[in-house]
Amino acid sequence: MADGAVFALVTDAVLDRAAVEAFVVTVEDGAVVTFEGIIRDHDHGAGVSALDYEAHPDAESFLRDVCTEVAAETGLRIAAAHRIGHLVIGDVALIAAVAAPHRADAFAACSRLVDLIKERTPIWKRQHLDDGVSEWVGL
Amino acid sequence: MTVVRYFAAAAEASGCDEEIWDEPVATVGELRAGLVARYGEPMSRVLSTGSFLVDGMVSRDPSRAVGERVDVLPPFAGG
Repeated sequence: MADGAVFALVTDAVLDRAAVEAFVVTVEDGAVVTFEGIIRDHDHGAGVSALDYEAHPDAESFLRDVCTEVAAETGLRIAAAHRIGHLVIGDVALIAAVAAPHRADAFAACSRLVDLIKERTPIWKRQHLDDGVSEWVGL
Repeated sequence: MTVVRYFAAAAEASGCDEEIWDEPVATVGELRAGLVARYGEPMSRVLSTGSFLVDGMVSRDPSRAVGERVDVLPPFAGG
């Protein structure tokens, strides 16, 4: 039976994709959809060299609330892990995973999960550009 | 007395992570006006798309009552 269990983590350590996926996948699942948010080398036409992520002390609790909401909507197991601190190009900042018996449900739930994480989790990032300037993203 | 905590761009605008707000403020709207008066354009920019955390709830409602602690949250940028 789908049980709607959730896993949420905010950490300054390297994220463990295998552990996040292992949490959501059960023997009843035929699909796991995992989203990775990766630090890219450009934004709004400017070169990016690194990002510094900062989280509110309660960020993990907000992240868990989002996971719980999507789990309640779908009945699926939901996991999300967000890394904070100094990240460079190619680093993984976010892993969000959903498993389901069929792929359409897993794709839809993972997409909604990532949208809600971005909307509701109090995490911020300062972007360092190639020209030496830095800026808060979203301001 | 209200303790105001600042995060990320809000902490840059205020120049501190936390302060005791000495003027009485009853609502989010009053605090918001006070923050803009005290810290000017940089704080105004943060608050134009930011929010407040009051008793564990994120709010942009100016009529929301504030208690002993309020967090000033810039627009979220996770992911």
